[in-house]
Amino acid sequence: MRGRAALLSIVAAAIPCALAQGPPASTTTPNFAGVYRAIASDTTLPGGLKNQGSPAALALRPSAAQEMKSADLKQDPAKMCAPVGPFRMMAWKRNKIELVPADGMIVMVFEDLSHGVMRTIYLNRRHPEKFEANWMGDSVGRWDGNTLVIDTVGFNDKTWLNDAGAPHSDALHLVERMRPVLDGKYLEYKVTAEDPKNLTKPATYTRYYEKLKTEIQENVCEDQE
Amino acid sequence: MKAAQSATFAAVVVLLCGAAHGQPPDWTGRYTELRGKSLGDLKQVNPNLGDVITAHLQPWARAKMEATDGVADDTGAICEPDGFFRYPVNGQGPGSFLWLPAADKIVLIYAQINTAGVRRIYLNRKHPDHLLPTWNGDSIGHWEGGTLVVDTIGFNDKSWLHPAMQPHTEETHLIERFRLLPDAGGNVIEMAATVEDRQALTSAYTFTRYFRKSGESLPENICNDDIEIWKDFKNKALNRHLQSAREVLP
Repeated sequence: MRGRAALLSIVAAAIPCALAQGPPASTTTPNFAGVYRAIASDTTLPGGLKNQGSPAALALRPSAAQEMKSADLKQDPAKMCAPVGPFRMMAWKRNKIELVPADGMIVMVFEDLSHGVMRTIYLNRRHPEKFEANWMGDSVGRWDGNTLVIDTVGFNDKTWLNDAGAPHSDALHLVERMRPVLDGKYLEYKVTAEDPKNLTKPATYTRYYEKLKTEIQENVCEDQE
Repeated sequence: MKAAQSATFAAVVVLLCGAAHGQPPDWTGRYTELRGKSLGDLKQVNPNLGDVITAHLQPWARAKMEATDGVADDTGAICEPDGFFRYPVNGQGPGSFLWLPAADKIVLIYAQINTAGVRRIYLNRKHPDHLLPTWNGDSIGHWEGGTLVVDTIGFNDKSWLHPAMQPHTEETHLIERFRLLPDAGGNVIEMAATVEDRQALTSAYTFTRYFRKSGESLPENICNDDIEIWKDFKNKALNRHLQSAREVLP
């Protein structure tokens, strides 16, 4: 009798266990988990895939162009171990990221923590109606086939769009599209930046990231000063 | 089913499910340290950690602590890394971390990301034979039932064990045991830590802290958010160093 009770207890525990596992993972959305590094700019991947565009090529409004011209490059956030913002960071030479999918979100952690920091891409909500502008903005994502489409707003205006000091406003709006290519060995990253206050037309670039088997290393900006 | 029973049952399910499927428990989420009244019936081991650490210091380490300049030598105050010993349990306010399970590791992101940084607790490897000392060391973990046992070595000696600036050496060895408390609604993690350092401590010390799940991810927290304030802090630290250098010159 005692054995039967024990068996019933195990079965009782197994039922909610199966429920707690949740529905099987979707077969249409790729698993982005892993460590990736931007390929060198002179690399051409099979199929002719290669980096295109650059944050250096921007269609700035005259006022923004003037502001860039007078920018004090010594005040570059990059030189003060401060965040440089996703638009500039994702084009950064040899940028290394780790993507960690979790329940309802994908977390992007940068190896260069001071400049890239981390981003949370929420998959289960919209942008909040009230959001205090910050360095990384508010990111929400959705799947378009095997492409993760990330929409980000809510930036402060403390970062630059490029190394030359091109400014952006708090109206900056990024749309990023990420998808695995070449059997998942690479990640294709395309971004479009809109900022009607500073840009006459959207700025775009494409980068390819190689999936690595190595670990992220501790990378401390201040230790390199 | 009463609320307490329901919570206990849910916690047991969480604990059992991982084991039953050969998968580690999924504790994804942001956890915030419990302090004061929020602890309820939970009892911390060594709540007065600063005094405990000081009592364990070897004479040279105590002398170094007493000679330490809180402005010039506190890297965390100028938004530079200072390791995770001071966070999330020893800071001025309750600390938080984001717990993210991945295939081969647990990723721990501290809310004070600029100073405490990120840890990766690898579940499928040993410590490398040759470790370059780093702020956060090298962490490996294994599951003992529902408890994650984390072993960390490879620290540099630039950080402090506590805001009172007790030093440690590259010999520091940290062992942490994380478990989800079954009788706290299934959302409280207990961290029991042991710190050894044959070069700096007379013997190991231990402490226990508790963290309650408090959200999905971390809100943005940039230490040098105000560049002007940050510059001011850096200048003060630099001036203090220059002043010290002048005092020792003949």
